[in-house]
Amino acid sequence: MKDFHGIIFAYSASPELRELVSHRTAASMPIFGRYRVIDFALSSLMNAGIHDVGVIMQRDYQSLMDHVRNGKSWDMSRKDGGVRLLPPFGMPGYHSGNYFGTMEALNGVGDYIRDIPQKYVVLLLGSMCANLDLTAAGEQHIRSGLPITAICSDKTPAAPQHRYVPGPDGTVGRVLFYREGECEGYTSTEGYIIDKELLVKMMDECAARNLYRFHRDAIAEYLAKGGRMGIYLHKGYYMPIRSVDLYYRANRDMLDPDKRHDLFTPARPVRTRHHEGVSTYYGEDAVSINSLVGDNCRILGKIENCVLSTEVVVEEGACLKDCVIMRHTTIGAGAQLEYVIADKDCTLAPDTVLKGNEKLPLVIPKGSHI
Amino acid sequence: MKKSCIAMLLAGGQGSRLYALTQDVAKPSVPFGGKYRIIDFPLSNCANSGIDTVGVLTQYRPLKLNSYIGNGQPWDLDVSDGGVYILPPYLGAHEQGSWFSGTANAIYQNIAFIEMYDPDNVLILSGDHIYKMDYAEMLRVHLENEAACTIAVQQVSLAEATRMGIMSVDDRDFITEFEEKPKQPKSDLASMGIYIFNWKKLRAALIEDENDPNSSKDFGKNIIPKMLAAGERMLAYRFKGYWRDVGTITSLWDANMDMLSPELINLYDPSWPISSRSPVCPPHYVGTDAKIVHSIVTEGCEIYGSVENSVLSSSVKVGKGASVLYSVLMPGAVVEDGAVVEYAIVGENTVIGKGAHIGAAPDGTDGWGVATCGPDITIREGAVVPASAMIYNGEEV
Repeated sequence: MKDFHGIIFAYSASPELRELVSHRTAASMPIFGRYRVIDFALSSLMNAGIHDVGVIMQRDYQSLMDHVRNGKSWDMSRKDGGVRLLPPFGMPGYHSGNYFGTMEALNGVGDYIRDIPQKYVVLLLGSMCANLDLTAAGEQHIRSGLPITAICSDKTPAAPQHRYVPGPDGTVGRVLFYREGECEGYTSTEGYIIDKELLVKMMDECAARNLYRFHRDAIAEYLAKGGRMGIYLHKGYYMPIRSVDLYYRANRDMLDPDKRHDLFTPARPVRTRHHEGVSTYYGEDAVSINSLVGDNCRILGKIENCVLSTEVVVEEGACLKDCVIMRHTTIGAGAQLEYVIADKDCTLAPDTVLKGNEKLPLVIPKGSHI
Repeated sequence: MKKSCIAMLLAGGQGSRLYALTQDVAKPSVPFGGKYRIIDFPLSNCANSGIDTVGVLTQYRPLKLNSYIGNGQPWDLDVSDGGVYILPPYLGAHEQGSWFSGTANAIYQNIAFIEMYDPDNVLILSGDHIYKMDYAEMLRVHLENEAACTIAVQQVSLAEATRMGIMSVDDRDFITEFEEKPKQPKSDLASMGIYIFNWKKLRAALIEDENDPNSSKDFGKNIIPKMLAAGERMLAYRFKGYWRDVGTITSLWDANMDMLSPELINLYDPSWPISSRSPVCPPHYVGTDAKIVHSIVTEGCEIYGSVENSVLSSSVKVGKGASVLYSVLMPGAVVEDGAVVEYAIVGENTVIGKGAHIGAAPDGTDGWGVATCGPDITIREGAVVPASAMIYNGEEV
């Protein structure tokens, strides 16, 4: 897909992700024991043969840069093009480096967007989990002849989201902003395929009138003026990572073989940065039930309904139920954990007892020593 | 650019004692220990020892090995001056050249490659050993003693000594005598098949040996005894860590079982990483009725049955009610529901059909051994593969 350029918005972090995003963006959050959330956007682009990709960042992007690096893991380290990490201040004097909305973020890297040599631009959120078939979406976009196609999902995750209601011809009839719960139309993944020409026009119009929101300003106006928009419907797994609750649900979803096999379909492999490591060792008294476990762990205690990232140690007699444990965390002997999300590099002393709730998992911030 | 030391890795052996496991692949690319292939060990040792130029000599079934090594990036060997090179046999002008006829001949045929780097010393390695070793330290000892050749040795029992190349040494560890597979060993220091040679001296010895019609062109049988007889300074370098030759089914199985005991060899050592080219797979999944005890399990596995005392490589599937005991399952192996795999090695992508039974526990008889199913085989539902069996691709089972 040589005619396509990817743009990933990796600057947002919903405040409802709380401690999990105190030093990183939602896009660089560790997830599913192995990945970072942005791997899904990057892999979707890679699997469609889209190698020229800009990643728009704002702040707290150190972990993101460390993860993406030169893009080699996604075959995006190229002689020409490849992945470009785009920090703010792309246009000095235009703004302070703080984006209030997507249009402002795009204008912040306006020169980069204007220089895109490709005809079409794929806009994706770095904070969504979906393995998108962008080859099919791109083909549909070209076939339709419409200047913009919304990438939608038939799932309705429990969060306020924009929805597109198709009209009689299948293109967008109406847009509904911030709807929660089952409702007509399809959930917007906030991913789009858009002709570059139209994107630049929207950016110029918004900049001239000091408007900064993509949906409320640019899209609403485009539709109000009679602009037409196609709908590409993604029928696979979809989860926006917008809150601790959705993050926890997404991890739990991967214990379901159907959802796991759907998201990690061999047809479109999800790639991530390679980590050195050994296989996971299970001890003589280990018990593991319905869990997803990364490499390089040592399981000597009991885990049930858990997602464990790499380099996690569960010492003898420790018991973990319904937990999500990130990389390089040690659970001391005899500790009892239920509904806990432990961030990276935590150490929990022996016999620690911590209990969250299914509706409100307990988050242990990165680097905690208890 | 001139190099102090480059490495030449002998990966051209047939590996015939691994039978079905090397039916389609060269021995160094046989999977090992969950995440690895055998060649990861010497390549990682090179990278960790600061040796950035490695020639890999291949001739039998090299396709997988070539694609596995690629540009050497996983081992940090994708450097601009040096790196990892696959060196197959080739024909020169007037169709001169041939298959490698022995380990020494393989190096002889690549003299031109070695000369490109004008090294002072050449490290000769085998592609079938599992160990962590700092070649830089061995090189330091080699240079300090101004040796023509330094041979890494390990203490072995006298019983083992009868099967290996044995060195007798003086009080400064200079070699006084070398015997290949002696009936009455005079020493317990066995050659590990790891040599550092002064390149000028080795070059001369290789050319001389090549012209000897009675030579079998082998380092152990010809080059080393000849250099010793010529009075060269030959040093033994004592190595005390974990080292295993995995050239046979039994030794390969044994060494895999050792991976369950990290005190023998710690592969998770950030100061000495063993690297591999591994596909990115999701974390492994353990089902509701699964049981995993004293085993290692790798990314991409899906375990619904029972796994005990076993080594599972990436993307292995163990079905409901299936049981895997004391076995080595290579990448992509599938054990379907209700099947039993015990004391066995199952090759890559091989499928063990429902209810089949592979291998048996040791019964004390001489005929007992590990059962082996080669790669890409389908074992029929309910089939029984006895202990010591060797199943090749293309056989009906």
